[in-house]
Amino acid sequence: MAASPGGFAGKVLRVDLSTGKISTQDTIERYGDFLGGTGLGYQVLWEEVPSGTGPFDAANKLVFATGALAGTGVPCNGRTAVTTIFPTCWPKPLVASGHMGGQFAAKLKYAGYDALIIEGRAEKPVWLFIRDAQVQLRDAAHLWGAGIRRTSLEISQEMGASCVVAAIGQAGEKLAPMAIVANSLSHSAGGVGGVMGSKNLKAVGVQGGGAVRIAGDKGEWEKLIKFHLSILGGNNQHVVPSFPTPQSEYYNPGSRWVGEPGRRWGAAQPPIEITGNIYDLNRIAYRTNSAAFFLGDGAWQHTVRGNGCTACPIRCHTILKVPAVAAKYGIREIAQNTCVGLMFGRGFFKKLPGGMKGQAALEACMVGMHLADDLGLWCNYGQLQRDLQKLFYDGLLKAKLGSAEYASIPWDKYVAGDPAFLFDILPRIGQRRGELGQVLSQGTSGLFSQWSIPEETWTQGHDTLYWKMGHPKHHANEDDGQCGVIINTQYNRDAQCHSHTNFVRNGLPLNVQKRLAAEIWGSPDSVDGVGDYTPMNPHKARRARWSLVRKELHDSLGLCNWMGPWVASPLKSRGYSGDDSLESRFYSLATGRKIDREGLDRIGERIFTLHRALTIRDMGQLDMRLQHDRVPDWVFEDPSGASPFSKGTIRMDRADMAKAMDMFYKVMGWDTTTGAPTQETYSRLGLTEVGQSLKARKLLPGDAA
Amino acid sequence: MTGEDKARLTQAAVEVVLQASREGRLTTEDDVFQALVAEGLFHPAEGGGDSDGARRTPTEEEAAAALAGILAGHPWLASFEGLSGQRVYHSPDLLSLTYARILDRKGSPLLLMAEEIRANSRDYPRPVPVELFEAPPFDLTPAEIEHTLGIMAADPQYQDISFTPTSTGAVYLFSTLHLERGYAQFLAQRAESLAMNP
Repeated sequence: MAASPGGFAGKVLRVDLSTGKISTQDTIERYGDFLGGTGLGYQVLWEEVPSGTGPFDAANKLVFATGALAGTGVPCNGRTAVTTIFPTCWPKPLVASGHMGGQFAAKLKYAGYDALIIEGRAEKPVWLFIRDAQVQLRDAAHLWGAGIRRTSLEISQEMGASCVVAAIGQAGEKLAPMAIVANSLSHSAGGVGGVMGSKNLKAVGVQGGGAVRIAGDKGEWEKLIKFHLSILGGNNQHVVPSFPTPQSEYYNPGSRWVGEPGRRWGAAQPPIEITGNIYDLNRIAYRTNSAAFFLGDGAWQHTVRGNGCTACPIRCHTILKVPAVAAKYGIREIAQNTCVGLMFGRGFFKKLPGGMKGQAALEACMVGMHLADDLGLWCNYGQLQRDLQKLFYDGLLKAKLGSAEYASIPWDKYVAGDPAFLFDILPRIGQRRGELGQVLSQGTSGLFSQWSIPEETWTQGHDTLYWKMGHPKHHANEDDGQCGVIINTQYNRDAQCHSHTNFVRNGLPLNVQKRLAAEIWGSPDSVDGVGDYTPMNPHKARRARWSLVRKELHDSLGLCNWMGPWVASPLKSRGYSGDDSLESRFYSLATGRKIDREGLDRIGERIFTLHRALTIRDMGQLDMRLQHDRVPDWVFEDPSGASPFSKGTIRMDRADMAKAMDMFYKVMGWDTTTGAPTQETYSRLGLTEVGQSLKARKLLPGDAA
Repeated sequence: MTGEDKARLTQAAVEVVLQASREGRLTTEDDVFQALVAEGLFHPAEGGGDSDGARRTPTEEEAAAALAGILAGHPWLASFEGLSGQRVYHSPDLLSLTYARILDRKGSPLLLMAEEIRANSRDYPRPVPVELFEAPPFDLTPAEIEHTLGIMAADPQYQDISFTPTSTGAVYLFSTLHLERGYAQFLAQRAESLAMNP
């Protein structure tokens, strides 16, 4: 591919920590077939990281990659994928990515780089200084041992206010598999902090004075951005408000669009009252308040404002100010995060005084954010918290842990729902202190490998929400029947896919969803009412494929799959439809490389298929269907004994799911016996050499030994 | 009334409805008529008033006769028969039918709650949390809600309105005309779990 006049920054920065060598490569020439983001990361791992490499081996590489749309004016473009051999994947580490928002992606682009490849291992702690073409490894001895906040502050003071710092905390330094790297204080990528720590890389500070060029007509570009804004809803692209408004035909109390005129950001100085028409484009940022959604209306009085990523009007990282926690616990009164990061502390407790939206819950959230976002501790999408609950309440912990260590932990506070408990447990895990800290900091895999707890104990438990390979479900059958299950079988960590769930949770009535589904996926039967699932059909398989392909596309373009795709909208005038071709239209205008929806989806499929190939190669296993695409037992059971396909159950049917996987493999062009892509599919997607390489390893369907 | 008069009357009448919708109010034909009278849009009937003695249109009588047809036929407006028995008008782009129905029923907590519960059970389908009715635009007090539910329980016309508790202690309301109890229980439990399932 020839150099692009827009979209891409143009270079990939490569830093060898072992030798100190710093070099660049041409992004498009070298990586253009895979766009960026996870695509670029998978390509680097395929070409450069040998099978069998461990996550903390010097040979492992850490790829911070954004995409052609990051740093532009496209809404929701602030994503960086961090791809590596993932340390929490069990029983064998395999390829996976953590994803962070914030400002890192844009700054990296403005400095001139689409991606940063970290390789080798430094002899002593260093941090990476990037100021446009000036790239240096600097001594981090004074930062080693510090939390993420102090590290970010010190580097910011050294570089200047316009920098962005992505740093690890003590958890990453101590090679905890359950460690994050975080930029802009609260925007974290899970599971990769320990890999940074293993390379003695404390942080990356980025400052960029450049810009991202747009190749296409600027008028068209502006028009498309305005259109995109017009079809945005609230967080997770929930397109109806949670309350009736004069303008809305529909509302849904489950919607994350919770902001409405009359609500106040009560902790802002001065407090801000939402006024005007919440449908106006300059009111989009008032629609979302993650704290109010997850913690209830009481959170409004503690809200300072919404924070978020570059060019994103959603602002899902709610900034909370709770003076009471400063007085009670001696911590900062301000914290910010969203989703599981916001609920990090609350999630540990089975019960809290006042319930899960009461004052104790709020305090637990504040304490959790204070500790975890500084220690750099990951929660594995809430699995850490559920694991501790199961270990404790099932008596496993008492049986496994030495009595002295067990007795040293304030379990009375845990049972009572006292947030002060977190001051004991989180540093224990983040700093890997004691046996409990060692085990839990490995993630769920630590329970299986170090304490010999059978994985079945977790796959059979309905409360664990555990799926496979050390990770939980992420929007599976509880949201989307077979489609959700298929998606959850495909990755080596939790699926992190929102393409499907953003649609089924968008708040529109089922008949409207079905009408849109018929337009997008060819049949209203591609979508079921939640808990009213019908037997598998080919349309659902196509929707599962579309969901996965769009996830990889977003991860490779720098877009947010927590918000997109945007196939539904709040616009009655459009019949509530969004636009299925936005990504390709933006990509075409940004880069000057005209590509239609089908063409870009084909690249997304190429990226997803390379992930599959990497997994096959590194597992050394052709039979993905049996060995990889597993579904936990709890999916096939209902605690009340309800039958599959009866109303009010998320229980799936084993034979139907087998049929679902057949259909999915078929639409992917994969062998239905093994679930592995065929040579024909690899070739169709421009991955001929990948297929040939697997053939040489007898990892191609029909060639098994 | 000339064509020009009718166009002027139409424009003025529609603007009255649009303005009411912008302000979150429903409008009846009489409301529109009175607003136009207040604006001085009409001329006295034959024999009255104008100094040159010429007949000016529209007169109040002509306008009154034409108004219903104008409002009913205008593409920007919609209407339905309100609880009062009068036809009420609104602009769906500014004031949706959903919201308009809620406003119309605000005088009758019984119908307000029952019809909203039924519509939610039928259309989405879903049960609704009882707290929904404490929030705008319903604005009922807990005492009013409790009283209304009590009346429903005793009234044969509302025997389809039922409730289901969740494990979190919340109460959800649904209509058995449109939702089976077991499914309503499932959906209520799921709705309560959304804030724990990010």
